[in-house]
Amino acid sequence: MAAPTVEKVQEIREVTRIERIGAHSHIRGLGLDDALEARQVSQGMVGQVKARKAAGVILEIIKEGKIAGRGILIAGQPGTGKTAIAMGMAQALGTDTPFTSIAGSEIFSLEMSKTEALTQSFRKSIGVRIKEETEIIEGEIVEVQIDRPATGTGAKVGKLTLKTTEMETIYQLGQKMIESLTKEKAQAGDIVTIDKATGKITKLGRSFTRARDYDAMGAQTKFVQCPEGELQKRKEVVHTVTLHEIDVINSRTQGFLALFSGDTGEIKSEVREQINSKVAEWREEGKAEIVPGVLFIDEVHMLDIECFSFLNRALESDMAPILIMATNRGITRIRGTHYTSPHGIPIDLLDRLVIISTSPYEEKEIKQILKIRCEEEDVEMSDDALTVLTRIGMETSLRYSIQLITAANLVCRKRKGTEVDVDDIKRVYTLFLDESRSTQFLKEYQQEFMFNENTDEMETS
Amino acid sequence: MTGVTVLTEGTNQLLDYIIQIEGVAEEILADRREIIDLDRQRNKTREAIRALQKDKSADKTWLCAGKMFLKIEKTKAINMLSKDFDELEKEINNVRSALKPKVSKLRDLEKKEDLKGFNLSPLSATELKSVESLL
Repeated sequence: MAAPTVEKVQEIREVTRIERIGAHSHIRGLGLDDALEARQVSQGMVGQVKARKAAGVILEIIKEGKIAGRGILIAGQPGTGKTAIAMGMAQALGTDTPFTSIAGSEIFSLEMSKTEALTQSFRKSIGVRIKEETEIIEGEIVEVQIDRPATGTGAKVGKLTLKTTEMETIYQLGQKMIESLTKEKAQAGDIVTIDKATGKITKLGRSFTRARDYDAMGAQTKFVQCPEGELQKRKEVVHTVTLHEIDVINSRTQGFLALFSGDTGEIKSEVREQINSKVAEWREEGKAEIVPGVLFIDEVHMLDIECFSFLNRALESDMAPILIMATNRGITRIRGTHYTSPHGIPIDLLDRLVIISTSPYEEKEIKQILKIRCEEEDVEMSDDALTVLTRIGMETSLRYSIQLITAANLVCRKRKGTEVDVDDIKRVYTLFLDESRSTQFLKEYQQEFMFNENTDEMETS
Repeated sequence: MTGVTVLTEGTNQLLDYIIQIEGVAEEILADRREIIDLDRQRNKTREAIRALQKDKSADKTWLCAGKMFLKIEKTKAINMLSKDFDELEKEINNVRSALKPKVSKLRDLEKKEDLKGFNLSPLSATELKSVESLL
């Protein structure tokens, strides 16, 4: 009895080990050339030339740091690449610019008020650049020599010989340094850095020249080159942290652990004010730079009127990020009111936004996207199958046909084929319904479902 | 054909550009070299001071200044060396500070983006401690 259970557990583990591929994982940037012209197919982006070009222009302004506190709305039908453009912008911004992506419905939480959730996302999107400067001694240990007093007690003294490719020198060691050396288990052949101010020793790894010293060694042994240049170096590191991170470590008693548990709760406005003034002070002293990042709100029509008026206000603050929103709605009711408005966004907010619109993909573009997705998901597909899939994509939706790729690949592997062909596509097409076929099915058989609203039929039966 | 080359306007410009870049790059390399040499000297001086302080055998010691050996009092020798050491430290800092604008000039010539944030002044130790857990 026990054996099958064990096997099953292993099977489940197997699944989790497979690396998962996100819906927009193939996006590497906006696919623009130096003159900001959109290439037809580049960096995972296909078509939407106009929208991408517009996004590229905005990106340049963001990089210049010129438009903080502006809003951009990406509007278009479902499946026209709104999220892809936002992802592309995020990728093109680089790692240094904070990018926060939330869905409009994410802010509705029982633990946090809507405005708090929005404020947190705003502050997650503003970076503070700070610099750390330390004097370090970096070198390879040539020799450690520790003299213990003959009596056994009393202060130890020692010598440490360090070298780089350029020079070698001897340091006299005091009691404290000897202790931290022994604690780090530093020995000849290790590459270490010693922080000059604190005396902290960090082991970077073992020298390459010592790689042949032993045959058997732990997997964690890391080999590094003997450092070049001077022994005593000045190390400058620039960090970019977000305002929200600073908020969290300074709020309440839970300290920085809250950063990792994810549950930060509400942060008091006094804390935020204090941090704002501290950061402003640093900026005055030339110790910090503000990096306005990007906040992306997908499905923005899910926000209600309170949130919109909050956004209106928040965009005007001097530390506001660039706000990018996406929606697939046309003229619809603004949530929380009885009024309708274009995109479900109040006119006064809409007035502050720059609007980029996306248009439906053409057949050629859909084919290209499906091809890219096949590569991304490591699926070999024959040309005929791709054509069939493109037709399906045209008639149903792009998302549906993308979903068929993986499914068809599984069917193909089941029959031990190497390349997905038309039959595999046909099979999964019959296995999985798309939205319109599902609707049709429901229409045909709705009286057999529970709670159908076709009440007069209920009465007759 | 004789080996006469006529430099056009374009090639001249290119040549000027390369000369400029190479000039700045050369300066940077020279500075790097100088820092290394100064640091070596600094370490040697430090070793010498340490050795003199530990050595309790005699009041006077031999000191090699340039090509000349001098026999002078130990305290005096230590004083001289410490002065040297301070001087070296200052010199290294000077060269390092001068290096930064040169590097950004080179990046500018090479049409690369500026290194972000390196013109900031560093946070003090206590300030750093307050955000340490983030870094």
